Amino acid sequence: MQVKKTNFTVNATPRFSVLTEDEIEQIYFSALSVLYETGVRVYDQEGVDVAHAGGAIVEDTTEDSSLVKIPPWMVDKALSTLPRKVVVIGPDRKHRMELFKDQVYFGAGSDTPFTIDPKSGERRRATYEDVKNFARLAQALPNIDFHMSLGIVQDRAVGTYDRWQYLAMLEGTTKPINITAVDLDGLNDQLEMAYIRLGGKEEWRKGPIFSLYIEPVSPLSHSEEVIQKLLFSADNEIPFVYTPCPLAGATSPTTLAGTAVQALTESLFGIVLAQIRKPGAPMIIGGLMSNMDMQTTVYCYGSPEMALLSAAYTEITKWLGVPMYETAGCSDSKMFDAQAAMEATINIATAALVGGNMIHDVGYLEQGLTSSPELMVAANEIIDMVKRILRGIPTTDADLALPVMDSVGPGGHFLEHDHTYKRFKHEIWQPQLIDRQNFESWEMSGSKTFKDRVHERVLEILEAEHEPLMEDKMFAEIKRICELADERHKDEELDLDMFGPG
Amino acid sequence: MNETLEKLSTCILEGDSEAAPGLVQQALDDGVVPKTILDEGMVVGMNEVGDRFRRGDMFVPEVLMSADAMQSGLEILRPELVSSGVKLIGKVVLGTVQGDLHDIGKNLVGMMCEGAGFEVIDLGFNQKPEAFIDAVKEHQPDLVGMSALLTTTMRAMGHTIKSLEEAGLREQVKVMVGGAPVDQAFADRIGADGYGSNAVAGSDLAKRLVGAG
Repeated sequence: MQVKKTNFTVNATPRFSVLTEDEIEQIYFSALSVLYETGVRVYDQEGVDVAHAGGAIVEDTTEDSSLVKIPPWMVDKALSTLPRKVVVIGPDRKHRMELFKDQVYFGAGSDTPFTIDPKSGERRRATYEDVKNFARLAQALPNIDFHMSLGIVQDRAVGTYDRWQYLAMLEGTTKPINITAVDLDGLNDQLEMAYIRLGGKEEWRKGPIFSLYIEPVSPLSHSEEVIQKLLFSADNEIPFVYTPCPLAGATSPTTLAGTAVQALTESLFGIVLAQIRKPGAPMIIGGLMSNMDMQTTVYCYGSPEMALLSAAYTEITKWLGVPMYETAGCSDSKMFDAQAAMEATINIATAALVGGNMIHDVGYLEQGLTSSPELMVAANEIIDMVKRILRGIPTTDADLALPVMDSVGPGGHFLEHDHTYKRFKHEIWQPQLIDRQNFESWEMSGSKTFKDRVHERVLEILEAEHEPLMEDKMFAEIKRICELADERHKDEELDLDMFGPG
Repeated sequence: MNETLEKLSTCILEGDSEAAPGLVQQALDDGVVPKTILDEGMVVGMNEVGDRFRRGDMFVPEVLMSADAMQSGLEILRPELVSSGVKLIGKVVLGTVQGDLHDIGKNLVGMMCEGAGFEVIDLGFNQKPEAFIDAVKEHQPDLVGMSALLTTTMRAMGHTIKSLEEAGLREQVKVMVGGAPVDQAFADRIGADGYGSNAVAGSDLAKRLVGAG
């Protein structure tokens, strides 16, 4: 082949960037200063000991905590053993996430106290059945790649709800799950449940079916529970998300760069501790950085700052070589309405364009307090639309279509052309829920709004026949772990029903 | 209105903590009655802050600056009020309950209550029921406020109220609760006297519970 061209670059996808490499380095080296000079407070003796043995400076020890300072070399050492790629595979061994630079996956958020009833539209406390329903939605929606518990199970015991949530999700989906755990015992139980679901620990080692969500408290505090979960996860080959949720202006500096520095400091401490404990421990860092609304004091999930900060942080993680826990598909609206769609669209597009890996919180309303089946179904369509943009515009000869134009010539049309027939389905995105009919056709089909169509789709998925995802025997065995946990923890409960009717 | 009181009111509105004590002192030196300094100077400023906040013309960091100015003025005025026999609005013991390290909401309520003239004893976070009991015994507050961010730690609010009952202290305080997963139904269920959905609602509730709202 004769070459007639040089220096030709191709954008296989669009490009989107918030920070330059110099700016990323400025944030990173600032975080190293905070880690070394300000330090972080650790409320767990074992965590303090591990850090100390690894070279950390420990001072200002009180009854319940110590100030831990990490010299920069410890971070370099930790990053040298930190896996750049983390894989989580669903129990069907088909749905998988390969988390590394610029790989994009979307999934739900977790643990909202409230949910919107899929039928009545009423906002109420979430139950086991809701969590199962959301998992079934996740299973049915092609653009949902992983799942989390879109609701706190509140019709079971409070101290053991995490096991019930996991069970409800296992009933509804075979996609990878990002779990939460109320404590170490809860994590241990859920690991046992996963072993049963998979057929043993060796199967787990070939591809874990869940990752664990761990959230240190901003500013710069790592609780006993958080550290214990981190150490247990490192010991047991559980990939975990270590994600602070700083609130710019309240629990971190009001400037977005300052918030990024603090969040990175908090995550870097997790990286250092985990890599000392077990070099190679798989981690994902992130993930939710936003601003406090200075009128209402809420944590904004739909603000442009949330999307912008998460995007900037994604670029930092790409530079560091660690998978990123992004945030999108969420809103501060109280119901699925125009605001919800608008905010979710902005943050989904931003997170996807920048290349966030594990993009969570799809389906969150009301600052993460309420989950919405409608937002989740709508987000599936929004993600689909954004994925079309990610495919960009290739400019090969076949794409440029000069012979096609030549054959049609001035004044002709392309509708019958082979080139159109062969390529339109790939080239032109076809919506499922978005309506493009003219007015008369739209009126004839019932004058349905987008919200109406989304609502119908939710019910259609939930009312569809479905085969159980687990055999009865396996289900019973896994459920037994939940029941035994209830038995062990019953003394912690209040002697009243916290959330039930009356 | 007395010119100094007007200046004091403006100084609270503008959140000038440095100027507030001097203006209070000046008003005292001018012979203005302590209660008048409070009601016609400081509270006028703070009420204007509240109005502007509700209208969306002032934001939380600005309100907190005003609350700070209120506090710094009260440090001078409080002893004078006490010795002239004026009953202060009240005393609040605040804490995030056992098992929970999240305290930004509780801190906000504390600052808003200070701005409303309450004396605030902040126990911090991860506080066992016994810590609340000890604080009630020691400080004899009018109110106990508890905060939690997690549903698991919400239980500790119920446990703490129960402990207050068992210690025979429940009748002498009003209990208010708050935090993202908490709602009125839950507050009723565990036997709290009130629920605040945010920091401003929390300090308004505190005022109502002591009969000043």
